[in-house]
Amino acid sequence: MTKDLLLETYNLHKTYGKKSTKFDALCDIDLKINTGESVAIIGKSGSGKSTLMHLLALLDQPTTGTIKLHGTKTAELPARRLNRLRNHEFGFVFQQFFMNSNDSVLNNVILPLKIAGIGFRERKRRAIEALKIVELEDKIHAKANDLSGGQKQRVCIARAIVNNPKVIFADEPTGNLDTITGEKIMNILFKLNREKDITLIIVTHDEDIANRCRRQIRIQDGKITSDGKTQKGGAK
Amino acid sequence: MKLIDIIKTANSNLLRNKIRTFLTILAIFIGSFTIILNTAVNTGVNSFIDKQVASAGGDGYIEIAPAAMLAQIEGMMGGNNGPQEYNPEQNASELNYIDAETLTAIEDINGIIPGSVRPLRNVRVEYVTSNKTHTKWKLRVNELPSNNINIDLTAGNSPRTDSDQPEITLLPGFAEVLGFVDDAGAIGQTVTLAIKNQATGELINVDATVVGVQAPSVVSMGRSWLNAALNDRIFAASTKYLPAEYANRVMFATAEFDPEADLDFIKKGLEELNLSGMTIDDSIGMMKTFFDIILIVFSIFGGIALLAASIGIINTLLMSVQERTREIGLMKAMGLSSGKVFLSFSFEAISLGFWGSLLGIGLSMLVGNTANTIFHQPGMFLADFPTFSLVEFTPANCIIIALGIMFIAFLAGTLPAIKAARKNPIDALRYE
Ligand SMILES: Nc1ncnc2c1ncn2[C@@H]1O[C@H](COP(=O)(O)OP(=O)(O)O)[C@@H](O)[C@H]1O
Ligand SMILES: [Mg+2]
Repeated sequence: MTKDLLLETYNLHKTYGKKSTKFDALCDIDLKINTGESVAIIGKSGSGKSTLMHLLALLDQPTTGTIKLHGTKTAELPARRLNRLRNHEFGFVFQQFFMNSNDSVLNNVILPLKIAGIGFRERKRRAIEALKIVELEDKIHAKANDLSGGQKQRVCIARAIVNNPKVIFADEPTGNLDTITGEKIMNILFKLNREKDITLIIVTHDEDIANRCRRQIRIQDGKITSDGKTQKGGAK
Repeated sequence: MKLIDIIKTANSNLLRNKIRTFLTILAIFIGSFTIILNTAVNTGVNSFIDKQVASAGGDGYIEIAPAAMLAQIEGMMGGNNGPQEYNPEQNASELNYIDAETLTAIEDINGIIPGSVRPLRNVRVEYVTSNKTHTKWKLRVNELPSNNINIDLTAGNSPRTDSDQPEITLLPGFAEVLGFVDDAGAIGQTVTLAIKNQATGELINVDATVVGVQAPSVVSMGRSWLNAALNDRIFAASTKYLPAEYANRVMFATAEFDPEADLDFIKKGLEELNLSGMTIDDSIGMMKTFFDIILIVFSIFGGIALLAASIGIINTLLMSVQERTREIGLMKAMGLSSGKVFLSFSFEAISLGFWGSLLGIGLSMLVGNTANTIFHQPGMFLADFPTFSLVEFTPANCIIIALGIMFIAFLAGTLPAIKAARKNPIDALRYE
């Protein structure tokens, strides 16, 4: 496992609203995440996990503080670079899937490649590759709507990895799934972490999932309460 | 994202809500149909006029009237100017007649061919008949001012303006009713024109030789052509017994001019004589202006329909932006730039405009050409004008109108497209 520095944050603050409705969603966040890590951001609902993930994924800007990706201050990057970075280096998995339910599995999976401007043949080849990893290559032409919840989330993982990202951000990826299906999804994600050295940043309130990550960052009311290696077990 | 993918995506997004898309296209179609059909009719009419004018010739021929007469016509339209004090001198210059002195003065204008100036005397014929029939037929006539004007003939020749024999051409159908075998058989035959005397009301017969049979044409406007010799005889018959001063009043004159000469100079010369001149090109121009005004009026209707359709586009796309908030957020999270989001929605609008105008072109062609065929059937009002096509669709017109409509659709789409482009990925993803 490499020890390259991937993401650093210094003194991050995120404030929502103004004046009377002002609300500090994140306070004083200092973090360093290395390539190849599997990190759980764990905390109760409303504690600021998603907000932190959005900042790390460069989907949002902090109110104050600095974020560095590969040592570069991201606030200084132009929008074009940020878009390219998210497209090439990040994959996203969300609790609510966010699929075009009337479209085919294939068309859902190739979305990041379409955005990247990759040609039709290459798109299809890579989509098949990604679907093989999540064992859904036989559903390539199925309508997304006709899949089960677990299958949908696997399609979302295929979509997240289709452009060979370095990091996968997953926000409550098993939140809408039963325990057994959720476990399968996590197995796939950890396999990607082990075999492809993809950094995992998983937002969850589920202790079992957090326990499978090598590192746990606990958040409460927008502040980090603990950050360290998972005690028993860790990633299998 | 590649342009082709943006366009494809835009089109497949439109297909997601087929009924809504169809209704929006329908609204655009109504506007485009109106404008395209209307333009096609205008093109058809104009090109027919042009063809007729090209065949009519008439270069170097000018009609002259007292300027005061035109001023009076304008005055009638302009309404009342209030009481004006009598002034004998001014009244003299406002005379509605061209006197003999002025007629000779016209000849001196540089460019007017000497000896070509001729009083134009509009004459009336009560009826026409021949010694081969007892029936009498109504006839409207015009003096052929110049042999420079080509008349479409199905048989024979034009009346010779310089001949001293009375000559006439017949309108289609007259040969048969006047008892001749056919059009060709009428040539060289004599017809009798009955002229009503203006003083006594008695009918005076004037004989004329048929020299040709006319084809249907807008230039002759349903009138038989006479030569000067015949026109003079008819005029004499109708003004016999009238005081000479009254009979010889000249309201209009015609003249020929050197086609190489400067027409503006000639018209200035006429103005100095308190006259005004009008060439065939001038009157065609007036006719075209009339049709152009009709075009503009109908285009305004089409434009209003398009305006309503634009609101439909805005509405459709706003709904679409609303429905696809999460999808837009997801794509932006995955690195799609705001510019491309804007483009994608713009292409949806342009696509609506494209299909609406394509439908408009297709259906207006179908309707226009069908109507054209029907109106040219025997008995219908265009049956006599085989060369007149009611509608003429030029590719250039269709393309320009389609592009214009697509541009309007694009403009209508900018509001929703900007709204979509400004969406923040996080807000969009949190949106329930
Ligand atoms: N756009 C926003 N405006 C105002 N408050 C927000 C906004 N987004 C999130 N919050 C608030 O910030 C807090 C943290 O939210 P979030 O990061 O989504 O929590 P978690 O993911 O841990 O459940 C919550 O109290 C939430 O209500
Ligand atoms: Mg959350």
